[in-house]
Amino acid sequence: MIKEVITYPTPPSVEYATDVRLFNEELFSLIDDLKESINENGMDGLAAYQIGSYFNVVVIKKEDGSFLELINPRLISTNGKITTIESTAYFAGLTAEVTRYDNISIVYQDRESKQQYLKAEGAFAVLLQRKIDYTFGATFLSKLSKSEKAIFEKKLEYGSNIAIPESCPTTFRRDYLVKLSNILMITIALTLVVSLFISTQETLLGMWKYQLYTSYAVVGVNIVYFFYAQYEGKKYTSCTSCQIGNIIGTTFLALVKLTLLMLLSYFLVNPL
Amino acid sequence: MARLIVLGGGVSGHTAATFAAEWLGSAHEVVVVTPNSKWNWIPSNIWVGVGQMSKEEVTFDLAPVYAKAGITYKQAKAVSINPEGSDSIEKPFVTVEFTDEARLGQSENIEYDYLINATGPKLNFAATPGLGDANGLGEFTVSVCTADHASHAATELEKAIEKMKAGERQKFLIGTGHGMCTCQGAAFEYIFNIEHEVRKAGVRDMADIKWISNESFLGDFGVGGLHMKTMGYAVSSKIFAESLFTERGVEWIIGAHVNKVESGKAHYELLDGTMGEEEFDFSMLIPPFAGVGLKAYDKAGEDITATVFAPNGFMKVDANYAAGSYENWKASDWPSTYQNPTYANMFACGIAFAPPHPISKPMSSPNGTPISPTPPRTGMPSGIIGKAVAHSICDRILKGSEAPLHEASMAHMGAACVASAGKGLFDGTAAAMTIYPVVPDFEKYPGTGRDTDYTFGEIGLAGHWIKHILHHLFIWKAKLKAGWTLIPE
Repeated sequence: MIKEVITYPTPPSVEYATDVRLFNEELFSLIDDLKESINENGMDGLAAYQIGSYFNVVVIKKEDGSFLELINPRLISTNGKITTIESTAYFAGLTAEVTRYDNISIVYQDRESKQQYLKAEGAFAVLLQRKIDYTFGATFLSKLSKSEKAIFEKKLEYGSNIAIPESCPTTFRRDYLVKLSNILMITIALTLVVSLFISTQETLLGMWKYQLYTSYAVVGVNIVYFFYAQYEGKKYTSCTSCQIGNIIGTTFLALVKLTLLMLLSYFLVNPL
Repeated sequence: MARLIVLGGGVSGHTAATFAAEWLGSAHEVVVVTPNSKWNWIPSNIWVGVGQMSKEEVTFDLAPVYAKAGITYKQAKAVSINPEGSDSIEKPFVTVEFTDEARLGQSENIEYDYLINATGPKLNFAATPGLGDANGLGEFTVSVCTADHASHAATELEKAIEKMKAGERQKFLIGTGHGMCTCQGAAFEYIFNIEHEVRKAGVRDMADIKWISNESFLGDFGVGGLHMKTMGYAVSSKIFAESLFTERGVEWIIGAHVNKVESGKAHYELLDGTMGEEEFDFSMLIPPFAGVGLKAYDKAGEDITATVFAPNGFMKVDANYAAGSYENWKASDWPSTYQNPTYANMFACGIAFAPPHPISKPMSSPNGTPISPTPPRTGMPSGIIGKAVAHSICDRILKGSEAPLHEASMAHMGAACVASAGKGLFDGTAAAMTIYPVVPDFEKYPGTGRDTDYTFGEIGLAGHWIKHILHHLFIWKAKLKAGWTLIPE
């Protein structure tokens, strides 16, 4: 019977790593299900765990179309390392760079429960290792380096396999514009405070004009910020979340502060 | 007045003897026969083995403790059991040979009403040529199985560290020294404590540290592996162990039967049939365990050792020894009362009872060499079993010979294990794990045979603190200080 291959985000079962003890119809039927599911989905192999069974069973489809049945497989000796781009049915459409052993030997039982031994290398060795990991309840996530894991988690978050090598910078260039806008507003506020101690109409008029022109500059800086920030955000695709919200929020807050300052200044500083 | 003899004063025997003395009071006699003058908190030998604790910190003299508890203490080695008595002695008796200086070599027949065999194992170094011989540990490797061995290991480790400081690379090989070993956990603790110490000494880059064991996958631990439920995920102990080994830069060889040890070199056979050898400058390989070699005779003096003991030298109890091959194993094969099937007044607990079969899947190489862990019976289960057996015997003495026996099957028992991975108040780590039940029950829990809700695992500094607290707590308990009966096994 063709079984559904479990894919992310369905959480994997907590039941796994159960050695087959009885070589009976139940086992043979499980192996048949695995074969049919492999053919249906055009796969190169399946661990029973991937179709929801806790038994340590792996079926591999060889290049000549025949099947290799591995019951209770164990990875025994290993040699050399190889790094390849792997994909797996659980994370459909996503790939990751995984380092594994290049040469391996495994022991397993056949359907007659006879112990067998197998040596493998290269891509076949990689496939076997990935499937044996499944029998212990693990996807290739457990084999990723820290940096590769961080990238893969991003891929999972967006469901996209676009390579995202860069990380989010902690400071953006656009932050300089926010700083400039803030400095300009501080000078407007300082002018407001100083004006309280000045009674000369002429000086007050000069101060008000300064505030007025500076406020135009603040608005200008914020307009530049609003568009530049979005341009910059697109350069860092991995950190798009919340960026738009941040940009709108920052601009809005700056303009609210400016409006308040200018309203106060209009009544307190403006002598006209 | 009834007399209970406890053979062995380890975790199981000491627990059984002290509780029996507490429950029986002075109306009956409890005799402990152990060749050792000191009690040893074996789990902390790991820390002795890396020079972080002294031998004195993990041992204490038994005589004053037994004097306080009203237990008759014989520093002697049990040689044989006559469960039917003999021509000249009516009652069952044990023949012992004294090991203390005053009576060295003298023997005595001690009669009993009830007997607990808690001798622990014989460290069978002789099973692997070069690992040791009939006299014990050989010259090429070290051991942490006893406090003396661990002190010696610490000295050798110190030498290796000095060499690394002088610029000489050192190869460390830690693990099991035979295809049929148990106690992988102790070797696991030791390798990571060494890694920790070497790192502390600033010579980690000069050390090549390698693991070798008879497990068919890393993290089997002799219990067929376990599911470590942590942070909402159930991680296999294989994945957990592989991550830990990789993170600490420790390589591994698994499925290995070490078949010969030479100076600086271990030869091994793998489960896939290949042969290999591994060089080392420092090596700690756990020996396989065997029964201590007790003999048994019937009333006529005929040897009945094969009736009382299993071929591996451990005492037969109420287990199903005819379970057959792996597919037939059941949780109910495991003993629950630890009573000898032939002689109802004899019990065995701790490592001394013969398990019906392993817990891990039995495997062998194409050459026919069996390479798979034998079942652990140490630590927490060993203490619990000792107490249950003492309870049964006390009931039979106090309430009559028909009193029901107490049960403590490893198939209905959970166990907690705290495995140290480095000692330090602020930089120590330990993996705390619990499994339930120890022996998988495939009928009750289809699949893994264990209840994943009661299976938990976590590694961190807090685990180390727990391990350190347990060290003091269990020594406190073993010394029978205030409130000792309240401290669990």
